[in-house]
Formats: sequence, structure tokens, C-alpha cells
Amino acid sequence: MADAAMQQQLPLPTSLAEVEALIRALYQPNPPETIARIQEVLQRLQRSPEGWQLAQSLIAHREDNIRFYAALTLIIKLNRDSAGLSDDDASSLLENIIGWTIQALADGAGNFVVKKLCTALVTYFVHFPQLWPNCLRHFVDCLDLGRGTPPAGLAKPLSTEALVSKLDRPKLRLAIWLATTLVEEVGKTDMNAPKFAPLHERLVKNGPDVVYLLARGFSPPADNPGIKTQGDALTCFQAWILYAQRASHVPDLVASLRQLVEPAINCFADDDLFQPTAELFSDALSNYSSFFTPEHYATLAALFESGWAAAHYQRLLRGSHEEDGIGFGLLLLAYGDAKVQDLMRSPDPRSQQFLEKLSGLLAADGFLVGEDAIFVPALEFWSTFIETMIDSTYSDEEGAQGWKPFAEQHLKMVVMSAWRKIRWPPPDVFASWDSAERVAFGDARKDVADMLQSVFTLEGISLVAFFADLFLQALGAQSWTELEASAFCLGALADCVSDDAKYDLELSKIFSSPFFDLLGQAPGAIPLRLRQTGLGLIERYREYFERHAEYLPNALNLLFAAVGDPVLGGPAARSISTLCSSCRSILTSEASAFIQHYRTIRGSQVLDSLAEERIVLAIASIVQAINDEDQRLNMFESLYGLLKKDFELAVQLQGQPGLLNLQQPDFLRGLDASNPQAAAPTAENVSVNIALRSMRCLASMAKGMQDAKEHPVDLDSEPPALDPNGRLAALQTDILRVLIEIQRVFHASGEVVEIICNIFRAGFSETLPGPFVFPPGAVTEYFVQQRFETARIGTLLSTACSFVGSLYRGPKVYVRPQLERLLPWAVSILQALPAPDADTEISVNGINFVDKVASKHLDILFQPQNSSLLEFFFLFSIKVLDGKDPLPKFASAEFWANFLSLKPSSVDPSSPAFSMGDTLANAMTHLGPLVARSLVRNLGGHAARSEIDKLCEPLKRLIVTRPEAQEWLRAALLDDACLLPGAPERVSADERVAFLRKIVALRGARTTNQIVREFWMACRGAQFAYVS
Amino acid sequence: MSLCQNRLQEERKQWRKDHPFGFYAKPQKNAQGVLDLKVWECGIPGKEKTIWEGGLFKLIVTFPDEYPTKPPKCKFVPPLFHPNVYPSGTVCLSILNEEEAWKPAITIKQILLGVQDLLDDPNPESPAQAEAYNMYKKDRAQYERRIRQIVRENQAP
Repeated sequence: MADAAMQQQLPLPTSLAEVEALIRALYQPNPPETIARIQEVLQRLQRSPEGWQLAQSLIAHREDNIRFYAALTLIIKLNRDSAGLSDDDASSLLENIIGWTIQALADGAGNFVVKKLCTALVTYFVHFPQLWPNCLRHFVDCLDLGRGTPPAGLAKPLSTEALVSKLDRPKLRLAIWLATTLVEEVGKTDMNAPKFAPLHERLVKNGPDVVYLLARGFSPPADNPGIKTQGDALTCFQAWILYAQRASHVPDLVASLRQLVEPAINCFADDDLFQPTAELFSDALSNYSSFFTPEHYATLAALFESGWAAAHYQRLLRGSHEEDGIGFGLLLLAYGDAKVQDLMRSPDPRSQQFLEKLSGLLAADGFLVGEDAIFVPALEFWSTFIETMIDSTYSDEEGAQGWKPFAEQHLKMVVMSAWRKIRWPPPDVFASWDSAERVAFGDARKDVADMLQSVFTLEGISLVAFFADLFLQALGAQSWTELEASAFCLGALADCVSDDAKYDLELSKIFSSPFFDLLGQAPGAIPLRLRQTGLGLIERYREYFERHAEYLPNALNLLFAAVGDPVLGGPAARSISTLCSSCRSILTSEASAFIQHYRTIRGSQVLDSLAEERIVLAIASIVQAINDEDQRLNMFESLYGLLKKDFELAVQLQGQPGLLNLQQPDFLRGLDASNPQAAAPTAENVSVNIALRSMRCLASMAKGMQDAKEHPVDLDSEPPALDPNGRLAALQTDILRVLIEIQRVFHASGEVVEIICNIFRAGFSETLPGPFVFPPGAVTEYFVQQRFETARIGTLLSTACSFVGSLYRGPKVYVRPQLERLLPWAVSILQALPAPDADTEISVNGINFVDKVASKHLDILFQPQNSSLLEFFFLFSIKVLDGKDPLPKFASAEFWANFLSLKPSSVDPSSPAFSMGDTLANAMTHLGPLVARSLVRNLGGHAARSEIDKLCEPLKRLIVTRPEAQEWLRAALLDDACLLPGAPERVSADERVAFLRKIVALRGARTTNQIVREFWMACRGAQFAYVS
Repeated sequence: MSLCQNRLQEERKQWRKDHPFGFYAKPQKNAQGVLDLKVWECGIPGKEKTIWEGGLFKLIVTFPDEYPTKPPKCKFVPPLFHPNVYPSGTVCLSILNEEEAWKPAITIKQILLGVQDLLDDPNPESPAQAEAYNMYKKDRAQYERRIRQIVRENQAP
């Protein structure tokens, strides 16, 4: 590529005419490659030593493009080569550029040329601030003379003000342009860098001159009404305010600039200038409110009371935001934002009327957000106002809250207007909006919900009552959009009121109203949106239904009826699951009816699989709450039976693909819902999908069957032994058999294994017997049957870790027999790995497993029959510690940190490990040097920086617990081969020994990490001298 | 007001003025309904045209007292299946690491967009959980199926 480009390079032009031709070509329509080539040759020219001369030759050209290019060349030369200019050369260069700029103005060159020359002047200032003191005053003086002069020659007795007053409008405007570019460009340099400090100092000194310049710029031109300078003055003023804000400590500059606020306010009067003026004030008020003095605020407040403001305000409320903009509204809001504390606390008529105007902004004509653009910003202001009220309510003394009734008056308006505004438009209007408008509408409703929650903090029950009344009125009048908006607002308050019975009186008005009869009517009777919001309300108020069981069956029936609906189905199923889960104990008598309901739905249609899982979860949680065991198991079996049929079908179909018949609903359950257009599904696909779908439902059952209540756990008592002939035991055996069978038939599916793991995990956390709380021996038996080749074996190992955790929480009698079988199995999986870093998940979980066993049953680890396994494991973990895969490395570091901390006495005194101090010491004699070596290897530069802290833990434990550690570490440190290549040259043997002394002396203290980090950096050679 | 509080006020203001499509971020309220600016509840939507599209994932962002000198902690609730999310749900991302790319100038908007980018563009160099990392590396098809499933369970409303 590069070579080809080189070959196509254009030769450097040999005459000025050629250069001009190239510049012209650059600005003409040309293919990108041509333009790139022209640009390249021109850049070479600009950068060459002849660049200065080139600029000078072209700067007086009559063509604007060529002149512009010359100005650009000047800027490039200044930025690249100014260091090579002597002070004298630089001064005459300035004189020239000023002269060219004035000449360009006189010649009638395009504004873009003149502005580019201003940039060239500012570039000069950035490089030579010391050579151009009082740059603005000097420039104005030159303008007055009509030519460039040496900056040193400026010694006129005339004040800048007098000089400025002599300029004609075009020259004045040019000076304003320079002042604007000056502050913008200098503002781009780092204000905190010492290098630029003199530059900023000199810039700030121009403050008074800017004021003279802009004061005249803001005054309407008497000499030539055709040329207005106020617009340019506004831009310039805004740039200087922004700079003053960022510079943060320039009191003189701020004082100067403040003199310009009044003249800038006068610009509002000019219709052409309204927009930029409003923008300037909105911006400064919202970002830099301290810039304005109380007098400025008073002037603005008076302005807002004028007839001029009233006309703007009316246009904003009744006119078109798309055509007229919302600048005036944003200005009012910015003022409100800046003065929010004062406005809130002042009962005077002026403040109150102003707040009325601001709440009025929430009631402009038109739909959100496409037509009414001011609502969202206005709501933002009111949210701030309300938060300020809340803060003040908590921070003010009781007696000092006289402001509150006034402020609350406004809240009523705000709430009412917001409620009106969030009503849905007619469906055809909504359909005509683009996606951004629709999303914005939804977002605005969410903002209203947030705001209402804040208002609730202040108003409490009266807000609930307010919406309950609106709700009932709208219901009576069958005003669907009002009803929906009321239900939405009530829904927004659910988080605040749902769990507190003191609001029930208000809520019962709603939930006992005929509204829910309406929801149950056939689709189409009421708008879909209303149904959606209405059904959502039920889920949001689930705690209310817990207290008012009388309304619950009706609510659930409504939800079940919506389950098959393509839009409402998903949310309805979710509502069913949350509602049933939290109200399980009052629904137990309905279990059978719900199962029947589910059976019927299944028979008539294929539900979305996620919706189905949620319904199964809902029913299972009700079943779980049934007190009578027989009754509970009856219900369980009846639900389980439905799923079992699917499993059988899946297995059958897998064996006999010819059975596939897509006319039959049972098979349709196996179509890939996320990909309905998939080409003719194969029997294999369908069967695995049926299996997975039902497995997920079974996992939902397991989750639903989890006990929601906390039970006191008696650690000493043994639970009743499981009766192997009991009904529950038989059920468990059956479920396990199904799981194993499905796994066998669909052995390639990792998802099946994942779901089995989820089912097991659901049982592990339980303290009471249940269908998924399998006997520990059966779980162990399942695990030890799994091989390295089993899909998702790493996840199975992780599940085995959870199992060990649950064993530790349960009766002790189960622990040993399981660990004795599981440990060899887990290590055998690690042994099957082709390399320690072949599978992160297996390595991590295998190490975690052994870690868990070692933490409580060290003796099992050291049983004679495990000795070869153990030897393998220790060496494996050290290899992993030496490796590059971070997660296994962390697991191994943690293992060693824990293992090194183990004292035989910290282990269960009843276990044989209690007397195995010698065994442990023996093992460490062999392993200690290896672990020390691995740690030194890592910390001597091989580890990644982010690994250091984790590797410090075993190091600290090693030092604290093993007296021989110092020797082991010394041997490793002094072995050059152990450190990162290059490190032995950077860190001498003495320094290494000093490092060792330090960390040993720290005895595992936290500061070890810092010392290790420094050592690591020294080994890495990151410009760091290791100080011993 | 402390630097931390001031900055968070400002972040809130900026977020309200301008935030990316489909995201939400707001300080949590304490028991009395007063905002706690140091704990934000946020929602990260999956990016369009990726397997994460359509999902919305809840993230709790906790700001330390030393913010913005120190970065906030971002935690998916519930923990998310993703190579760079710790089993606890904490996000592992260079711009959130004080010793790596954190800079006090990084805004909440940039953080949330960064986390959104991370969803579909995991960094295999800093794995945080073995399960997702392993599957991402070894069985991309299954990884993608799993993500689709997670997206279905966490549909944006």
C-alpha cells in the first residue's frame, strides 16, 4: 500500500501558478484519491522551508480559496517552525499578518478568509504571548491606522475605549472576531500546565479591552444599520463567559465581563437576536449561575414580567414548537434552576407568579414529545424543585417551614398537568410516530413516574387518594385514556405504598371497582394499552393482594386469561409467578384448579416457553405451601406428570424420528420459538427442544418448590432419616431417573447438563425435605458417574462445589462418606485434562473443590489411598500457579493461601486429621520449596500486574506459617532462572535479599503487597529503581 | 458539599439533559425517600444488531467517598453470565480500574456505554468468571444460545 502510494506521489510544483492550480483543484469536486494526492503534495510544500514564502506570495491573491490556503499555511508554519524564529523576525511576522488581515477586510475578502487570518493571529499569540502584550488593544490601534505596526510601538495616549469608538462597523466586527477566536483557541490549551500559564495570564489581562469592544458591539449601529454587530458580540461574550467559568479563579475578568450582562439582555428586544441571546443566558444560567449578580437576576425577573415575555410565553404554550423552538421556555427553566432555592422559599408574588409560569409549561398544547418539546425539560425542573423540597423538609427546623404550603400549591398543578400529559394518543397518531418519538414518549412517562414517587415522599396518602379519585371518575365516565393514565400513576406509586396496610382503604376502592370486570371482557372491549396497564397494576400491588385474599382469585383469573395473548402473555405470566410466589400460602386451595387451568392452556395452544416456565414456577410455589404432605405430593405429581409426558415423547422421538408429526400439538412444543422461520425442523431438533423446554419447566418447579420462609436451623439435631420406601423417596428416585435418562439420550447437549445442575442447586439450598432435596448419596452417585467427556463437566464440578457447601450446612453424618467418594472423582477429572490450561472451568472448579474439602477434612485428603491423587493435585496446582491463565492461577493462589493456613487443630477435632500434624509438615517439606519458587517466578516479573495482590496472599501465609519459608524464598530469589529474563540484571542479588528481609520482617502485614509490587516493577524494569 | 457530591449532582444533571437511547440511571432513594447520590440504579440495554439486542440489564453503580479520584464499582444484579463479570456480578473493565484506565473525567454516560460495549465484545484477557469465559472460548454457538436465553429472561419493557 505504502509503496503504491509513494509511486503515485505528485511531484512538487515548480511555479506559483502550479501551486495555485493545485489549490483550485483541491476545492473542486474530485475523486477522494485525487484529493488525497493533492493534499499530500500541498502539505509537503507547506512544511518545506519555502512554506513562509509561499504563504506570503499567496496571501494577497484575489481568489478567496487561495487566500484561505495561504492563511492555513501560516498557521501550519507557526505551529511547526515558530521555535526557529528570532524575536525580531517574529515581531515583523506579526506586523505582516496584521497588515494582511486588515488588507483582506479592505479588499472584501470572504469572511472565512478573514476569520482564518484571525486564527493565524491567535496561533501567533499562543506561541509568542510575550511578544504581543495587550494584543487586542494593539490590534484595534492597527485597525484604526489601517496597517500593521510593531507591537512594541504601541504607546498611544488614547484609551482603548476611544480607539474602539473610532472604528467603523466592519473593523469593529473584525476586532470582535479576533477576540472570539482568541479566547476559544487559548481556552483549548491546558490551563493547569505551567507551560501555558503565561499565555493564560496575558489572555486574562485583555478582559477590560474585551469589554470596551463588546460594549460598542452591543450598541445598535447608528452609522450603518445594515451591519449589525450584536450577534457577533453575543458569540464573543458567550465564549469569554465559558472561559471565565472554566478558569474558575479570575475575579478581575469576571468583574469586567459582568458589565456586559445588561447590554446583552437588551439584545432580547431584537427578534433576530432572540434565539442566540436566549441560548447565551440559558447556558450561563444553567452552568454558571454565580456569574450573575442579584441586580442581573432582578433585571431578568422584571423582563419575564413584561408584555414581551407574555407574548413569548403564549406562543410557547399555544404555538408550534417545531417552528418557533422552545428557547424562551428553556430560558425560564434555566432561570428557575439557578434560583430554585430562592423561588421555593419566597412567598412573594413575583416568585410565586414565576413558579406558576413554570408549572404552566407542563400544560402546553400537543402530544409528548414530538409536538410538545417543553414538557420534558420542564419536568426536569420540577423534579429538581421537588427534590429540593424534600432535602429542605429534612434539613429545616420545624418552625422554618413557612414556605412549604406555597410550594405545595404548585405541586398540585404539576401533578395534574403531568397526569394529563401522559395520556396515550389515539392509536393512529401513535402509529404515525417514528421509533425515536415512541421511545421518547415512553421515557417521558417513566420520568413522570419518578417524579410522582418523589411527590409521594412529601404528600403521602393524599397523592394516592388523588389518583384513586381520578381513576374512579374516569372509570365512571368510561374515559379510557384518563383511566389508563390514572392506573399508570397508581402503578408508579406501588413501590411506595404496596407493603403498607395504611393505604389499603384507598387501594380497595380501586381493586373492588368494576374495573377488573372490564379487564376480563373479550379483547377489544377496552383498548389494549389499558388492559396492559391494568394487568400490570395487579403485579405491582402483589403485597396488597397478600393482605386481601378476597380479590386474589379474580386477579389471577384475569392474568391466566391473558397468558395466550401475544402482547400480554409474557407480562401476564410474569405477574402470575410473582403473585403466586408471594401469596402462595393463601392460594393453596387453588392449586388443583391452577394445574387444571395449565393443563387446559397446554392442550389448546403452544405457549411461549418462558411464559410457560413462569406459570409452572407459580403453581409449584403454591404447591410448596400446602401443609399436608400427602396433599402436597398429590399436587406435585399431577404437575410433574404433565412434564414427564414430554420427556417420554422427546426420548421416543429421538429413538424413532419417523414419529414426527407436526400436525400434532405435542410436537409443536419442540419448534424453535426464537427462530420460527427455520427450514423444516428435523426430528432430532424437535426432540431436543421438547426435552429442553420441559427440563426448564422442571427447573422452574424446583425453584418454585424452594421454601420461601426462613426456618430456625438447629445445628445439632439430626433430621429424620429418609424412608427409602416412602412416597417422597420414590418420587425423588423417579426424578433422578428421568434426569439421567434425558442426559443419556441427549448426551451431546450442554444445555441439558446445565439445567440438571440448576435443578440440583435448587435443592442444595433447602433445609427441609422436598422432591428436589435428593439424598446426598444419590447426588454423589450421580456425580461420580460423570466422565471427563461429559458435556459441561466443568459446570458439574462447580455444582459439586455447591453440593459440598450444602453438605457442610447439613447434618455431619452425611459429610464424610460423600467427600470420600467425590474427592477421587474430582481429581480424576483434572487428571484427564490434556494440559493444566486446557480448560479454565475444569481447572478452577477442580481446585476449588479440593480447597473446600481441605478446609474442613484435611484427613480425607491425606488418606493413604489418595496419596497418588494428592501428589498429582499438588503438582497440578503448582503448574497452574506458574501458568498464564488468570482464573485457575487465582484459584490455585487461593488454595495455597488457605492450605498454608490450615493447622491440624483448626480441623474438626473429631476427625482423624486432628492428629496429623506430622503428615502435613512432611508434605510441606517437599512442597514448600516448589510453592516458594512458583511465587518468586510470578512476582519476579512473570505475573501480570493485576495478579499481584492475589499472589501475595499465599506468599504472606508462607512467611507466617513456615519457619523454613525464608530459606525457600532465598533459594528461588537467588536463582536467576526464576526471574523474568532481564530482571537479574536490573535487580542485584543484594537487592533481592533486601527485598526478602523486608517481606519477612513484615510477617504478612498488608504493606507486603506494596513492597512486592515495587519488586515486581523493578524486575519488569518499568523505569523504577528498587530502593532497598 | 463534598467534591464527590458536587460531581454526582453534576453527573445527574448532565444525564438528565442527555442520555443514550434505552438506558436509565438514577440515584436510589433511602427509606425516607431522600436520594442517595452515591448509589445509582442503572439499566444497560443490549446493543442493536448484537445477540444482546432486546435485553435490559440492571446494574448498581456505587460511588466511593473518594470519587471521582477513585472509580465507582459496577455490579450486575443479579450477576450476569459474561466472561468479564465476576460471580458476584461486579464488572471487570479497564476504565473502572483505578490502576488501569480510570480517569476522573470519565462520566457516568461513558461508563454505561463502556459496559454496554463490553457485553458484546468481551475481553478474553481479563476473565472474571470461569463458566462464561470457558464457553465463550470453547463453544461459541452454545455461548450465543445461552446469551439469547438470558436476553429473553431480561426483556426490555
